[in-house]
Amino acid sequence: MNPLFAHLHDWVWLVPGLLLFVVVITGARVLLGRAQGDAAEPLTARLSSLAAFGGLLLLLSIDAMALSQGAPGHRILGHWFGSGNWAATISFMLDPLSLTLATLTALIGWLVVRFSANYLHREAGFHRFFIGLSFFLAGIQLVLLAGNGLLAFVGWEMCGMSSFLLIGYAWHRPVATGNALFAFVTNRGGDAGFLLGLGLAAAWLGGFEWTALANAPKLSVGNDRLLVIGFVIAALAKSAQLPFSAWLSRALEGPTPSSAIFYGAVMVHAGVYLMLRLEPLLVQVPDVMLGLVVVGALTAIYAWLCGLVQTDVKSALIFATLFQVSLMFVAIGLGWTTLALVHLCLHAAWRLWQFLVAPSWLDLTRQRPAPPPAWLRNNSLLYTVAVQRFWLDKLAQTLMVEPTAGFSRDLRGLEEHFIDHAIGQPGQGKAVHHERPLVVADGLPGRLLASASDTLQHIEYRLLLRGKGGSAEKLMHRAGAYLRTLENLLEQPRYLMMAVMATFVVIL
Amino acid sequence: MKSELPIRERLAHWIAHLAHVLPAQAPIRDFVHHNTLHGFQHLPFAEALTAAGALTGATTWWPEAKFRACLASGRITRDDLAAALDEFGVADLDAPLVGALTRREIMLASLLAGMEAPAASRLAWLRQEDGAEQNFDFGQFLPPTVAFAAQGADKSWREAVLVRWQELCGRVGKTWTWRALLEHLSGEDVLERVRGILQRHLAAHLDLGVAAWRNPVRERGFFAAWRASAGFDLAWEMDELPNVRDEVLHLPDSPLDVLLEELPRLLPDETLWGGYLERLSLELPGWSGMVLWREQHPGRGDGTPVAMLDYLAVRVLLERLLTDDLLRRLAGGPLTLADLPAHFAARPEEFLVRDALHQPGLPEDLQGRAAHLVELARHGHVEVEAWHHLAEALVPALAAARHDGAAWQLAGLCRQLGLSADDLARLRADQIAALHATATSLTAQQRGQIWLLAYERHYREQLFAALSANHPRQAALAAPSAQVVLCMDDREEGTRRHLEEIAPDIATYGAAGFFGLPILWQGVDDVLPTALCPVVVSPTQLVREVAAEGDEAKLAAHLARRERRLNWRERFYQATRRHAVAGPVLTALGAAPALAGLAALTLAPGWAGEAARRWRTWNDGRVPTRLAMTAEQAVAATPEQPQAGLTDTEQVDRVEAFLRMIGLADGFAPLALLLGHGSGSRNNPHLAAYDCGACSGRHGGPNARAFAAMANRPAVRAGLAERGLVIPDGTWFLGAEHNTCDEGVEWYDLDHVPVRFQPALDTLLRQMGEACRAHAAERCRRLASAPTRPTPWKARQHLFGRGCDISQARPELGHATNAAALIGRRAMSRGLFLDRRVFLISYDPTTDADGAIVEGILLAAGPVGAGIALEYYFSTVDNERFGCGSKITHNITGLFGVMEGADSDLRTGLPWQMVEIHEPMRLLVVVEQTPEILGAILERQPALQELVANEWIVLAAKNPLTVALHLYCPRRGWLPWSGPAVLPQVARSADWFAGESEALAPALILGGVR
Repeated sequence: MNPLFAHLHDWVWLVPGLLLFVVVITGARVLLGRAQGDAAEPLTARLSSLAAFGGLLLLLSIDAMALSQGAPGHRILGHWFGSGNWAATISFMLDPLSLTLATLTALIGWLVVRFSANYLHREAGFHRFFIGLSFFLAGIQLVLLAGNGLLAFVGWEMCGMSSFLLIGYAWHRPVATGNALFAFVTNRGGDAGFLLGLGLAAAWLGGFEWTALANAPKLSVGNDRLLVIGFVIAALAKSAQLPFSAWLSRALEGPTPSSAIFYGAVMVHAGVYLMLRLEPLLVQVPDVMLGLVVVGALTAIYAWLCGLVQTDVKSALIFATLFQVSLMFVAIGLGWTTLALVHLCLHAAWRLWQFLVAPSWLDLTRQRPAPPPAWLRNNSLLYTVAVQRFWLDKLAQTLMVEPTAGFSRDLRGLEEHFIDHAIGQPGQGKAVHHERPLVVADGLPGRLLASASDTLQHIEYRLLLRGKGGSAEKLMHRAGAYLRTLENLLEQPRYLMMAVMATFVVIL
Repeated sequence: MKSELPIRERLAHWIAHLAHVLPAQAPIRDFVHHNTLHGFQHLPFAEALTAAGALTGATTWWPEAKFRACLASGRITRDDLAAALDEFGVADLDAPLVGALTRREIMLASLLAGMEAPAASRLAWLRQEDGAEQNFDFGQFLPPTVAFAAQGADKSWREAVLVRWQELCGRVGKTWTWRALLEHLSGEDVLERVRGILQRHLAAHLDLGVAAWRNPVRERGFFAAWRASAGFDLAWEMDELPNVRDEVLHLPDSPLDVLLEELPRLLPDETLWGGYLERLSLELPGWSGMVLWREQHPGRGDGTPVAMLDYLAVRVLLERLLTDDLLRRLAGGPLTLADLPAHFAARPEEFLVRDALHQPGLPEDLQGRAAHLVELARHGHVEVEAWHHLAEALVPALAAARHDGAAWQLAGLCRQLGLSADDLARLRADQIAALHATATSLTAQQRGQIWLLAYERHYREQLFAALSANHPRQAALAAPSAQVVLCMDDREEGTRRHLEEIAPDIATYGAAGFFGLPILWQGVDDVLPTALCPVVVSPTQLVREVAAEGDEAKLAAHLARRERRLNWRERFYQATRRHAVAGPVLTALGAAPALAGLAALTLAPGWAGEAARRWRTWNDGRVPTRLAMTAEQAVAATPEQPQAGLTDTEQVDRVEAFLRMIGLADGFAPLALLLGHGSGSRNNPHLAAYDCGACSGRHGGPNARAFAAMANRPAVRAGLAERGLVIPDGTWFLGAEHNTCDEGVEWYDLDHVPVRFQPALDTLLRQMGEACRAHAAERCRRLASAPTRPTPWKARQHLFGRGCDISQARPELGHATNAAALIGRRAMSRGLFLDRRVFLISYDPTTDADGAIVEGILLAAGPVGAGIALEYYFSTVDNERFGCGSKITHNITGLFGVMEGADSDLRTGLPWQMVEIHEPMRLLVVVEQTPEILGAILERQPALQELVANEWIVLAAKNPLTVALHLYCPRRGWLPWSGPAVLPQVARSADWFAGESEALAPALILGGVR
C-alpha cells in the first residue's frame, strides 16, 4: 500500500488543525480590517467550509482504512511536556467510538457551516460568527479525537469559550450577554471536576492517556471513585445534567444555526462522550454508575416537566434535547453503553434538523400536542414549578454567578483602595530627582523601582568603570555557582511538577 | 367632563385608546402590511412622526448620516435639498440674513454639515488629525461660541441641576415611567426583571399551540392565572423580595381593584394615570399589542379569555413592587416614590454625576469615573464627598463639552459656507449669533423631514421625467394576442415589462390581486376556509374546490394518504419533544432521513426541494378538481355561515365591475389570463408578509381561477352581454398563479380549455415562461448571493433553489423596492423601465368622466399601497423599534409571533432582512386624471383626505390627454410640474440593468412598445 495512505491516521491532527488555521486567518482578516462588506463574506465562509470538509474527508478515509484493516487505536504523535515518570503527549485516539462521533460531528459541522453562510449573510457579526463556529468545531474535534485527558481538556475549554462567544452574539442585548456569562460561569464548575480528575490521574497514574486511564488496575476502588467523580462532574456540567441544567435553557440567544449545533446536536453530547470514553473506569465503581442513573433520571423528569410548559419553539426543543441526553446518562449508568452511543448519534442528527427548521414550526405542526394526564394537568403547584424551571437558574445565579461577580468586584475594590495607592498609577508619577526629570515614579513599587535602578546604575558604574578584579566580580562568580546549584535542583521532577501545578493554579 | 366619569369607564376609555399606539399586528400567520403608525393617521405626517417619536422613543426619520451618504452618492442633489426647503415652507428663504448670506444658504450649510458633535476624546483626535491637514483649526471658532453658550451659565450649577431634576421628575406619567427615571439614575433597568417575571406567564396564557401543559386556572383570565402561580413562586425569596408573596396572596380578586390600589401609589395625580398606563404598555410594545389584539379579536384565539385590564394590573403591580425594591437599594434605606424628588433635590451633586452619564460629549475618563461611582453606589454606600469631588470635576467638563460642541457646529457650518475663521472674525457678535440661531432653528425632526423631502423629490423628478418622456410614445394595441391581468404588486411590474418585451402584442393590466372577488376559499386540502380578499372586507361567499366529476373516490384516497403523511409528520415533530417513550423511538427512526434531507437541502436545495415535492405528489396522488362556485339562489349569509358559491347575478356583477374597473370592456383578445400571485419560501416565519396583500397575506391563485371560471360560464357571459359587455365566443379566460419567489407559474384548469384555443395557449405558456425567466435574471441583480449577469435559465434555476433553501433568510426581497403607484392606462408606463418599484393599477380615464371608478380604486388601493409603503418606511427608519430586527435569532413563540432568543419582547414589524435595501419614502401615487376631478374626490372622501391631506401619501395627477403633470401639496394646492423629459434609451431591460446591483433610474425601453 502507498505509504502515504498507511500513515494517513497520523495526519488526524489536521482535523482540528485546519479549523484552527481558519480561525487564525479569519481573525487576522478581521483585525487588519480586510473583512468588510459583501465581498469579504464568501472567503470566510468558504475557508471554514473547506476546513470542515477537509476534516470530514480525512476522517472518512481513516474510517475506510479502519473498516478494512482495523482501527488504528491510540496514536502518540508527539511529546508535549513531561518529567520523570509522567508525560503529557500529543496523542490521538482513533478507536470506533472516537471515529464514529468525530465523523458524525465533522459532517454536521460542515453542513452547519454551509447553512450559516446563507443564513448570516450581511450580519454585522458574520466573521465573528464563523470564527466562533470554527473554533468550536476545532475544540469539539479535539475533545472527540484526543488520546489523552489534557488535550481533551484543551478542546473542552475551546468549546466553552466559543459557546460563550456565540450566546453573546447579539452583544447589544443585555439578556444575551447575561446568559453568556451565566453559561460560562456555570460550566466552570464542570471544569473544576475535569481538572481534579486530570490532577489525580497525573498523580496516581503518571499520565493523562485514555489508555492508561482505562487499564488502571493498580488503583484502589476509593481512588478510582475519586478520579471518576471528577470526570463525572465535568460531564454533568457540559451535558447540563442536574444540578447544572439551568445554563442550557438560557443558552438560546445566539443565531439559530449555533443553537442547533451547540445545544441541539453536538456540544450537549460531549459529556456523554466523556462517560463513554471512561467506561472501563466507570464499571469499577458501581456506586458512581448508580449515581449516574439517579442524576439522569432526575434530569429526565425535570426536562420532561419543563418541556411540557414551554411556549417558544427553541425552549421546547432544548428541553426535549435535555430529556433524551439524560436518558443516555441513565443508559450509561446501567451499563448499556452501546445503546447510549447509538442513541447519541441518532439523536444528534434528528435534533440538528429539528433546530434548523424551527422557524418552520408554523408550517410543520397542525395542532397542540396532547396535554399531560389530568392529575398533573390540574396541579397548580407543579405547574408553577415547571414554568419556573425548578428555580434552578435563580439558584445557580445566587449560588454561583453572583458570588463570582461579587468576588471580582471585591478584587477591584481591593485594587482601587489598596493596591493602586500602594503601587501607584501609570502616568501619574512625579520626578524622583529634580535633576533627572525624565525618571518619574508613583507609589511604593515605583519608588522602589526608581531607587533600584539608581542602585543598579551605581553597580554598573562600578563594574564597568572600575575594571576587572574588583570585589564585584568575585561576588558575581560566587552568585553564578549558587544559581547552577539551584538549576540542578529544579531539574528534579518533583520540583518541576510543583512548578507546573503552580502554573495551573495561576491559570485557574 | 371625562374625569368625572366613573373610574371603570375611564379605564375602558384609556384601554381603547391604547389601540392607537400599540402595534396592531395579528398573529404572524396572518401577517398583513399596515401603517405602523395607524393610530396617528389623523395627524399630518410630520406631526404624527414627532408625536410617535416622543411617545415611543423611536427615531421616525432616517438618520441624517444615511441621507448625507445619499448626497455623496448622488441619490440626493443640492438642488433637491434647496427645493425641499421650499416645500417644507420656511419663510423668507432668499432674504439676506448675515451679510449676503441668505437663510436658504445657511440652512443648507447646516443640513450638509450636520449638528452631531463628536465626543470629547474624538473631538481632540479630530482636531489633531484634521486641523493640520485642512488648515481649519476649529479652536478659532471657540471664542464666538462661548459667548452664546454662556447665556444660561450665570446661575450656579446647583440651581441648574435642580431645574434639570425637576424637569426629569415632571416627565413621569407623560413621556416617562418611574422605571425610565430610575434607569436614568441608576443604570439598572427594572424592565428586564419585569419582563423576566411576566414573559413566561404571558406567553403561556396567549399560546396558540406550542405548550402541551397550560396554566390550570387560565380560564379565569390572565390576572387570576398569574396570581395563582405567583403565590407558589419561590423566586420572590431568591430575588430578596420576601414580602411580595404576602402582597400577592392578599391582592383583591378583581384586577380593577388592583389597579385602583396600585396606581395611587405610583402617581397620586389621577389625571396622569391614562398617560402612565400608555407609557407602561409601550415599554413592552410587542406583548402589550398582542394582548390587546387578542382581547379585540376573541374569535381568533383558542378560547382562553384575554383582557388588557388583567395584563395592566399585573404590569402596574410589578412596576410598583420592583421600583420600590430598586428605590430601596438606590437610597440605601426605605424610600417611597413620592419622596424620590425630595431625596435627590437634597443631593444635587449625586444627581449631577448620575445625570452626567447621559450627557453627550463628556470626556471618557470622567465618564468612566462617573460610571464607576454609580456602580459602587449599587453595592454599597458612597460618601457624599466622593460625589461632590466628582461633581466639581464634571461641571467644567460639561460646560467645555457644550462649548466644543457649539464650536464644532459653527466650524462645520462655516466650512460649508466657505467662511474662514478670519471672515468670521469680521462679523459682528449679533451676526454670529444670527448665523448660529438660523442654523440651529430647525429641530432634529424638521431636519429629518427636509432630508426626506429632498430624498423623495429626487425620485419623483425621475419618475415624472420618465412619464413625460413616455407620453409621446403612447399607442393603443390594435388587436392583442392575449390580455394578461396581474396583481398591482410592485414585483409584478417586472413580470409585465418582460412579458411585453418578449411579446409586444400582449396587453397587460394591473389590479388588486383578489380580482374584485372577495371570497372564502376552501381547497380540497384545506380544513377550514380562508378569506381571500383585503383584510377590511368580510366575505360571505364560499368557493370550494371539489373533485372533478367521477373522481370522488380518487379524492377520498388522496385525502386519506395526505392525512396519513401529515399525521406522521406531526408525530415526528411533536412526539420527539413531548413523549417520553415514543420520543426516543421516533428520534431514532427520523435521524437518518433528517440528516440525508439536511445534506441534500444544504448542498443542492433546488434538487432536494423538487425531489421532496415529487415525493409528496407521488404519495398523495393527483386529483383533477373543479370549483363549486355557483349558488342556486342568494341566502342571508355571514362570514361564519357563508353562502355556498355566488349566484349567477352576483357572478355577473363581480365580473362586470372588475372588467370595467380595469378598462377592459371591449376588444377582447383570444386569451385573457388572470395571474394571481403568492410566495413559497421555506423556514420563514414571515412567509405571509411576502404573499399577496390584497388577499390578506395569502395566495391569490384561487381568486384568479374562480374569476376565469366565472367569466367562461355561458350564463355569466349572457348576463354580461345584457349589460352591454360582450365577451365574444372567441375569447377564453384562464387563471394561474405566479410564485414571486421562484418565478414559477401554476396554471389552472388547462384541461377545460377548448381545442380551438390550443395554439394560442401554447404560445402564451411559452411567452409567460420566458418572461418569468427574464424577470428572474433581473431579480438576481439585487441578490448578493445570486450569480452575476446570469442567463435567464440560470437565474430561474437559482431562484428556484433559493425558494427551497431552508438556510435562506432572503428567499425574495418582497416589496423592498416599492416607491410609487401609477393608476391609469398601461400606455402611460408601457415601455418604461421602472425597476419593480411601482404598483401598476389599470384604469381607463376615458370611460370615467365623473371619476366614480377612480374614486373606488383610490379607496381600495390607496390604503393598501400606503400600508405597504409605510410599514416598510417605519421598519426601515427604526428597525429596532418598529421592525423586528434580524431574522437569525428569531424564535417562534406560541405560534403567534417571534422573539429574539428565548426571552425578549415580542417583535413586530418587518425583519431587517426584508428592508435592508429599501429606500424609505412615502408612496407617490400618480393618477391619470385631471386635478379637478381628483380634487373633487378628495373633497368628498374623508378617508382619502386623511391619507393625502395629512401627507401619508403623495398624490400627483397626470393629464389623460396632455403631457401635463400636477403635484398635490396640501398647503399650496396643485402645482404644475416642469422639468426636462430626457431619459436614457435602451433596447431591452436587460441592457439597462446588466451588471448593476443598486436601485436604477427609469429608462425608455425601445423594444417594449409595438
